[in-house]
Amino acid sequence: MKVKFSMLPLLALVMMALPIVPQAQAKEEPAAPTITLDKPSLNNGGEITVSGQAPAGAQVYVEVYAADKKVRSNRFDSKKDPKTGKIPYKFYLTNEMPAFYKIFTPKEMEPELEAARQAGKDWKYSEVLKKIGADAAYSAPAKIKIDSYQATIMASIIGSRGELLDAMDEKETKRESMRLVKGRFRSVNNLLAASVESTPEGAYTAKMKLRTGLAPGKYNVVVTAVTERIKEGDKETVKKVKSEVASFDNIQTFPTVYLDTAGTSINLLWPFLLTLAIAIFGVLMGAGGGFILNPILVSIFPALPHTIVAGTVMPTVLFSQGSGIYNYSKIKFINWKLGIGIGCAMLVGGFIGPKLTELITLDQFKFAFGWILLVLSGLMFWQTTPGYLEKNKKEQAILKEFKKRAEEAAAAKGAN
Amino acid sequence: MKVDFWGHEFEVNMWVGCTGGFLIAVMSSMFGFGGGPFMVPLMTVALGLPMYIVVGSSLLAIFFNTGMATIRHMQFGNFDLLLFISMFPAALLGGYLGPQIAKRLSPVVVKRVACVGLILLGLKLLDLY
Repeated sequence: MKVKFSMLPLLALVMMALPIVPQAQAKEEPAAPTITLDKPSLNNGGEITVSGQAPAGAQVYVEVYAADKKVRSNRFDSKKDPKTGKIPYKFYLTNEMPAFYKIFTPKEMEPELEAARQAGKDWKYSEVLKKIGADAAYSAPAKIKIDSYQATIMASIIGSRGELLDAMDEKETKRESMRLVKGRFRSVNNLLAASVESTPEGAYTAKMKLRTGLAPGKYNVVVTAVTERIKEGDKETVKKVKSEVASFDNIQTFPTVYLDTAGTSINLLWPFLLTLAIAIFGVLMGAGGGFILNPILVSIFPALPHTIVAGTVMPTVLFSQGSGIYNYSKIKFINWKLGIGIGCAMLVGGFIGPKLTELITLDQFKFAFGWILLVLSGLMFWQTTPGYLEKNKKEQAILKEFKKRAEEAAAAKGAN
Repeated sequence: MKVDFWGHEFEVNMWVGCTGGFLIAVMSSMFGFGGGPFMVPLMTVALGLPMYIVVGSSLLAIFFNTGMATIRHMQFGNFDLLLFISMFPAALLGGYLGPQIAKRLSPVVVKRVACVGLILLGLKLLDLY
């Protein structure tokens, strides 16, 4: 009896608590945000609005990524580790980077983004993500497969990427993926925009601007609502709910086409006209024209990776060189011994060079190319100085004379 | 190395030629251009060869580099077919139209214009304006 009596208040306590428990659970897991897009497709970029209802007071982030178009991204880590003092010489490579990736954040984050823009090229994507809380929404690139290679000087010389290392764990992959995302999309404006507006009741709208020339095809949109951030010392626990995936299409029509390896769309008329003008100019100068075409392409199409530019311009000049050799050989104007002798050394150089293109960033590419062009302009200027012209006049006369003789010899041979 | 060309004999220092050629090849294949504007001064100035032997032979040497670099770039997946298709006919057309225009222009003027253009482009790449 005594026992029964003492149980009663306990029972009452449990009964009182019962209705509270489900309520507490409901508070911990708020409803997922709803998501609606105002149109099903875009015509080569434009503006699309996403809206919906998120839990009241939540911070809303919108993640947008290309769903079916993947591109390559790579990074060569040659920065000294401040802790161990060693240079890692690691090469990271992925073929699964979405061709478009952007996170839209609440409007209040604009000052942070502005600060990142002010930091220039060396802004840190992962730090900014953390500061504006957008790391909670960062998910699509975190799942890509990244290969890492241990590069050595010897491996680079023979043109190999080095030894393939064991797959990285989830955390490492996420960290490296952020660096690759930054390396691929580079600027703050490409990756982040502060444009989500929320009412205190939780209704949100975000106007998303997509530039022209992005990958065509399906784009996925996911909304992440962060309801609570609990800080315990250095550790932060984020409570968030995600919406379902909504999609829209980015439609493009000819002559704008998507370059698969480059991961960007381009109006094909531009490279055509550019190459035509530069090829003519190149003939006038007595040189190829690759050294003008390359820097112009990387300057006016910032979305075109420098590796693709270098790798595609090279075969373009191959054929004009071949026809030039054929024409000279017809009139016996090539010294094969000399050409092949130096050619063998150049063969080795041509084996190593393309590997190095991968190892440098676009900024290093531009920097080095800038100096090459300045040296080249010096060489060009030297070729217009009176002393050179005087010497050249004699040489040209001899050249003409020899050409005539060679042509005559070829003609005589043909007549026989 | 001794080289015989149309009845003239030239002494060529192949060490200088090959080292220079190698360095030019690494640079030009890395940045994706032919390398002619560097090869011609190397062979005329550093090797002391006359222009008439250099024009054809330098082109042959460069062709080795371009061919190899093309294969390597393709191996690394740096080649984009559509971009190539849009540029290649233009390069052929330019190679056909160029010589016709060249007859009417002074090469010195063209080179001076190119010189200014290269400086501007170079400074742009260096982010100086």
